[in-house]
Amino acid sequence: MRLLLIEDDQSVADFISRGLRENGFQVNHVDDGQEGQLVASRGGYDVLVVDRMLPNVDGLSIIRSLRDAGDQTPVLILSALGEVDDRVKGLRAGGDDYLVKPFSFVELQARIEAMLRRQEMSSNSPETQLQVGDLVMDLLTQQVCRAGDVLNLQPREYKLLEYLMKNAGQVVTRSMLLENVWGYHFDPQTNVIDVHISRLRQKLDKGFEKSLLKTVRGEGYTLDDSC
Amino acid sequence: MILAKALTGYTFRYISLFVAGLSAAVFLVLIFLYLIYSYNQFLEVNESITDEVDTMGLIYSGQGMPGLNQYIDDQTQRGFFNKYFYIVVDSDDQKISGNMEAWPNYREFAQDWVNFEFDIQIGSHVDYIARTRSLDNGYRVMAARHIEEVYENASLVLRILFRSMVATIFFGFFGAIIASIVAERRLETVNAEIQSIVTGDLSQRIDVGDSRGDMRRLILHFNSMLDRIQSLMLGVQNVSDNIAHDLRTPLTRMRNHLTQLRDQFDGDSQDKIQELIEESDGLLATFAALLRIAQLEAGNRRSQFEKVDFTKLVDDVVELYEPLAQEKAIQVLLEVEKDLSVVGDRDLLFQMMANLFDNAVKYTDNQGLIELNLKSVTGGGIELRLADNGSGIPAADRENVFQRFFRLESSRSKYPGNGLGLSLVQAVLSAHQGHIELSDNHPGLIAKVRLP
Repeated sequence: MRLLLIEDDQSVADFISRGLRENGFQVNHVDDGQEGQLVASRGGYDVLVVDRMLPNVDGLSIIRSLRDAGDQTPVLILSALGEVDDRVKGLRAGGDDYLVKPFSFVELQARIEAMLRRQEMSSNSPETQLQVGDLVMDLLTQQVCRAGDVLNLQPREYKLLEYLMKNAGQVVTRSMLLENVWGYHFDPQTNVIDVHISRLRQKLDKGFEKSLLKTVRGEGYTLDDSC
Repeated sequence: MILAKALTGYTFRYISLFVAGLSAAVFLVLIFLYLIYSYNQFLEVNESITDEVDTMGLIYSGQGMPGLNQYIDDQTQRGFFNKYFYIVVDSDDQKISGNMEAWPNYREFAQDWVNFEFDIQIGSHVDYIARTRSLDNGYRVMAARHIEEVYENASLVLRILFRSMVATIFFGFFGAIIASIVAERRLETVNAEIQSIVTGDLSQRIDVGDSRGDMRRLILHFNSMLDRIQSLMLGVQNVSDNIAHDLRTPLTRMRNHLTQLRDQFDGDSQDKIQELIEESDGLLATFAALLRIAQLEAGNRRSQFEKVDFTKLVDDVVELYEPLAQEKAIQVLLEVEKDLSVVGDRDLLFQMMANLFDNAVKYTDNQGLIELNLKSVTGGGIELRLADNGSGIPAADRENVFQRFFRLESSRSKYPGNGLGLSLVQAVLSAHQGHIELSDNHPGLIAKVRLP
């Protein structure tokens, strides 16, 4: 995976680069807006991570010019500003996701993976079925089966499972679930997501030896077939 | 209504008090004037009658009875100009001359005063006062005068005095109303400006304009007070924002290091490190909330507002938090009006509702009850009522709970939380020009939220 990081804060850039390289990314780092715009427009990257505040050309302008040129490479915006407005502005400019500094590395990685997965899915012919191990979700009939048995899911549980299955094998953080399954960007203050997950897990894994829905301690959840 | 405000204003009250005092003083003066006038009138009448009787006595002693008769005839011939009634009788009370029918019955006062009723006009009793004098040979003369005239003059004076009294009160109060309207207008504009500054942009100042005197001084003082408040607020805000902002980065770095460290251990040590990670997550969440409140309070965000389906938003909040309620076997009763919308930021509104609902679940005991009503308000806007039968908030603390980091002593150890939830609720509501009111549910808490 080729990743372009446009970030002027050296310590943040080091932290991101090191972490991503350890996880198998090829990271190219640029610390200037103008240069970043040039490098990004040449293309050849699978994903961009762009800081909002950059010298010379700001992050949103870079994204806008890429989108105007028809470049649909997924972009994750980093920002030191926590304003909710900024998030909306960032997404409107064509960013695919938005992360406020400071963030945990797991959160960054999970969001990049999810963006890539989304990109991959939309470029392939639309899937009609998701499968993780013996768990099968039919996106047309909205029926979910595990080992041939139909699971009876509430609408929200279905959406939750759908998102987890689309990102199978990867860590999905709580805030990602809130943003993508519930559609709100906010701080739930309590372990409310955990309760929803444990309910889903009841329906999903009860009676099966192998648990598919796992908790990644302190970070989020992951749905996978491995042991 | 300006008149209603003027009538309840201080100016009106003071001037009214002044007018009342003035009226009382005027009343006393008028009574005094009236008494003096009446006394002088009686004195004048008394003297004139005494003079008349003296004159008659002199004429009789000089010219005898014929002279006296001539004088009385002359006087009574003057018709309208004659103020006096006369009678002369002999020792047997037989009338000799005069324009009275007969010697009347009278009551004698000290100094020969006579006041009698004499039926001179048919059907009406008229009061007279008179004086008598005994002449030689048993003759007696009497000169009388209408007292009516005196009374009339006196009552005329009384009426005039009464009217000037009424006029004093009337014009006094009229002036008071005018003065208070003028004062109220001046105050009203200043009040409106203060109101808009306090509820809105603290950087604004009141326009001194062409006001003079005390009003000018008041405005100048108020403006300097605003300067001071603003600099203090900025100071506090900057400090707390900077702390939150500056500590977040090292804290995140620490958290990331801990995550890496955790993966190198297993068993008990891993659990310990996990606890540390969760601690730092809590701290980060607190800083994030603090910064969010600060940003909400600092800026005007209406430009980003859009129409939000509030009914759906409330349903989503309940749907998200209901499992928490079910875990505590709390019953949730919903009564939500369809298709209500507000203009705002949906993420912030969701955060606000989530905090309120989360609180309701958190502070309600097992098997409790939470009621949520959402309805439109006539005249625009929506009203949300969230009632629980949990531990509630003592009346004295209902304002304090909106302060940052304020937590009830009773809940501090019992429930988790950072004391920022309701501060954030209020900050979100202020940014949307809404407000929240807490009241007692006997037992429990009712939170009433209004949004325009």
